[in-house]
Amino acid sequence: MTAADSADNTALGTVSRPLLEVAGLRAGYGAANVLHGIDLSVLPGEVVVVLGANGAGKTTLMRAIAGLIGHTGTISVDGQIIAKARPDEMLRRGLGLVPQGRGTMTAMTVRDNLRVGAISRSDAREIADDIERWCTVFPPLANRRNQIAGTLSGGEQQMLAIARAMMARPRLLMCDEVSLGLAPIIVQQLFGVLRDVNQDSNTALLLVEQNAELALQIAARVYLLEVGEIAASGETEQFRGNDAIRKSYLGY
Amino acid sequence: MEIFLDRLFSGVTAGSIYVLIALSLVVVFRSSTTINFAQGEFALFTSFVAWWLTTKGLPIVLALFAAMAVGFTMGVVAERALIRPVRRRNETAVLIVALGLFTALNGADGWIWGANDKQFPEILPHGDNDYFVIAGSRLHYDSIGIVLAMILVVTLLSLLFNRTPLGLQMRAVATNPESAALAGVKVGRVLSLSWGLSAAIGSFAGVLLVPVLPPNQLDLSSFFSILIFASAAALLGGLDSAKGAVVGGLAFGVAESMINGYATFLGGSMQLTFALVIIVVILVFKPTGLFGARRLERV
Repeated sequence: MTAADSADNTALGTVSRPLLEVAGLRAGYGAANVLHGIDLSVLPGEVVVVLGANGAGKTTLMRAIAGLIGHTGTISVDGQIIAKARPDEMLRRGLGLVPQGRGTMTAMTVRDNLRVGAISRSDAREIADDIERWCTVFPPLANRRNQIAGTLSGGEQQMLAIARAMMARPRLLMCDEVSLGLAPIIVQQLFGVLRDVNQDSNTALLLVEQNAELALQIAARVYLLEVGEIAASGETEQFRGNDAIRKSYLGY
Repeated sequence: MEIFLDRLFSGVTAGSIYVLIALSLVVVFRSSTTINFAQGEFALFTSFVAWWLTTKGLPIVLALFAAMAVGFTMGVVAERALIRPVRRRNETAVLIVALGLFTALNGADGWIWGANDKQFPEILPHGDNDYFVIAGSRLHYDSIGIVLAMILVVTLLSLLFNRTPLGLQMRAVATNPESAALAGVKVGRVLSLSWGLSAAIGSFAGVLLVPVLPPNQLDLSSFFSILIFASAAALLGGLDSAKGAVVGGLAFGVAESMINGYATFLGGSMQLTFALVIIVVILVFKPTGLFGARRLERV
């Protein structure tokens, strides 16, 4: 499906098929279940945010969808159920994850980190173009192309993480707490880039965040995750209008 | 001066052998943080295969390639069938499995080919008159061959790591397997290939060096001390560094030769002790070795 198709669908109000649909998802570590039946969907080109406190299961949700940990329940991409999700399989179907903690390949250069991001592609010239493009989007990376990535600052590593995930040209970019541990001005900048990613290439976004205020500025829909269950969900505007939710999640 | 040169040449030759086996340890450790103690036995097994093929009339050069192919297959199968199933559970279990493989392979060699020594056909010229004279000291052709083989392997490996997509994936898996997986790298496949590559390097080294190393024939303990020396060399250089394996191997070979030559009061039997002392000293004072980056956590 091209970007134009999905934009038309949304504009005409037709029901477009979800890019990602999760139903009754259970996942966890060993015997301990963290997620107790999650239902969630993302349409092509849509921006969805999952809000939740520490320990609500946000990271587990992202890891299960990306195929890093096993699950029960169903995960479907383009309406097709993925029985045994593996990370390379999910990526091939268009899902990319920016993991919590940035996942920097610390012993490799910035350029090699970006090249690894494009390992699923074979168009050498366009890969080179994309590396240049992301160095333009994130200027601090441009000067440090040949620097060992482990020496970058936290903010620069988060830029690298987003750029690396985008090198695979995903249709859905999932971000696990992009804002964690970063200065507010950097976080603003990163969300600006995410908004551009969504608008320029119609890449859908699934963000999990504790930083509700910023995430709600770019999200169309919201899910509230509480102790492994979806406590509420709806359009962003409804959420802002709901006093109880606004107080507990936005603090005003 | 001649004696010094003699010792230097023999040290560099022995060092190059350690470099080759150390490199095969490094290739596995880089990608999977496992020290494969069965590495020497892989090489022993494939050296036996090469020997057996030559007794059937195959030229030694072809037997060398066959041994490398068998080694590669053994490495891939061992990783996939024995190492991967236990890795998820426990790192200690991986070590035990590698040790089990070590004894099992050695036993299998004896069972298949018998415990008597095998006269091994040489691939490098090893005659009494095959040498140059440099400043009065003899530099044998087979020594030069071993050093050249080491340089060849180092060059090919560095091209693989730095110039090919597979090398990029191997480096990615080494530094952050989860991020590599998220980028679409098939991590399991890369690990299997690393084990196969490592065993192929070991086989190459084995076939080349058995006729060169005293006692110049193949027996069941041929690789035991080489593995200890190579482990010490790899640790000295840093287990995850190819450059470290080269520097560590050569340094170790030359040091050993010099100590043997000049500290004669120790006798020739102290070599293994010397290697083990080096291992302990490095593990205690500088576990990352000279060039290693990763902290050593699982030994």
